[in-house]
Amino acid sequence: MSSIPQLELYRLIGEAQGRGERVVVATVAHTRGSTPQRRGAKMLFFVSGATAGTVGGGCVEAEVWAEAREALRTGSSALHKFSLTADEASEEGMVCGGTMEIFIDVWDAKGSDG
Amino acid sequence: MNDARDPREADDARPHDGDDARALAEAISQVLRGGSLAALATLVVAQRNVGAKALVRAGGASVGSFGDAALDEAVAARAIKFLSSRQEAATHAVEEFAPTLEAWRGARVMFERVEPEPHVVVCGAGHVGAALARLARALSYRVTLIDDRADFVTRARFPDDGVALVAATEGWAKAVREAVGTGRGVAVAVVTRGHNEDEECLRAVVAARPDYVGMIGSKRRTNIVLERLREAGVSEETLREVRAPVGLDIGAVSPEEVALSILAEIVAERRGGTCAPLSAWRRPRTENER
Repeated sequence: MSSIPQLELYRLIGEAQGRGERVVVATVAHTRGSTPQRRGAKMLFFVSGATAGTVGGGCVEAEVWAEAREALRTGSSALHKFSLTADEASEEGMVCGGTMEIFIDVWDAKGSDG
Repeated sequence: MNDARDPREADDARPHDGDDARALAEAISQVLRGGSLAALATLVVAQRNVGAKALVRAGGASVGSFGDAALDEAVAARAIKFLSSRQEAATHAVEEFAPTLEAWRGARVMFERVEPEPHVVVCGAGHVGAALARLARALSYRVTLIDDRADFVTRARFPDDGVALVAATEGWAKAVREAVGTGRGVAVAVVTRGHNEDEECLRAVVAARPDYVGMIGSKRRTNIVLERLREAGVSEETLREVRAPVGLDIGAVSPEEVALSILAEIVAERRGGTCAPLSAWRRPRTENER
């Protein structure tokens, strides 16, 4: 999955809010060393299970998915740190070996029935 | 476009309230649709209000709050500074930019640039123009492709509806002016079939002073066009901004390669690239200059 234009991203958030749904937005807040995505890269998680965008492929995506699903359930936002040691990275065949801080954020749509 | 538009001030601080989240999403969409620039600031680490956001427009007006006027003010000031850098996103500790705010010690704020994708206006839908439109779409840039030959700008030729097609049946100038708008966030490539058409387009473009404007042609031919504009009273400063001949010297030959050379220059202008090979540091200078 590739990066998506901001306009498209916020359109998708707005649409979910319009349906009264919660959306979880994962954003690469900070990086150190070699990481698979740039700061500011975003991935959206919808209650339907659908996603859009990416925060960096195999290295971290599975962990981000788990945290995002948790956030969809609990509704609480938090900054998560993911380390990609060179060993782990090479095992997965990925070109990364730094740390990524990813903010997993809940955009709620309560009060949307008005 | 105009940063002062809809200068709604923040209501009281209820960062997690859905109504505020919707207002914020709408305000962001407005910035993106209007072609303007803003910074989205999010509290990512804090004792309270994690996830609270403020959208700070380049003009200074804000939507949203962190629940503390002093923090709001400090973040707004830092957001403006952030926007003047070319960074897409950065996360800063509050004590970095507001050391006096004891209550927010240890808190961190993420700043994100909110700006539409570059809009590439291609004047001329010949081989180079067509290749440039397709390549710019591959980068998710918005594209407007203009030609005065209506059968060159058909959906059959460009099925991607991310390419806006304009038949300049009432002359180039009007179509180009409409596409370029304020010039903010706009890159223009003048690649028509002839130098008279190029001149007509360039005249229509330069007044808006877009982020980037380039014209195809040899040094000699582009000089002739620029000289005519100079005679018509276009200022030296404006003429200096015109990349003519357009593109980077990558030895491009085919229309697709020429399109790549133009797009590479547009990206470099946007991101502040040097256009030098990234590997240059490996080679001693003397060897490079030989």
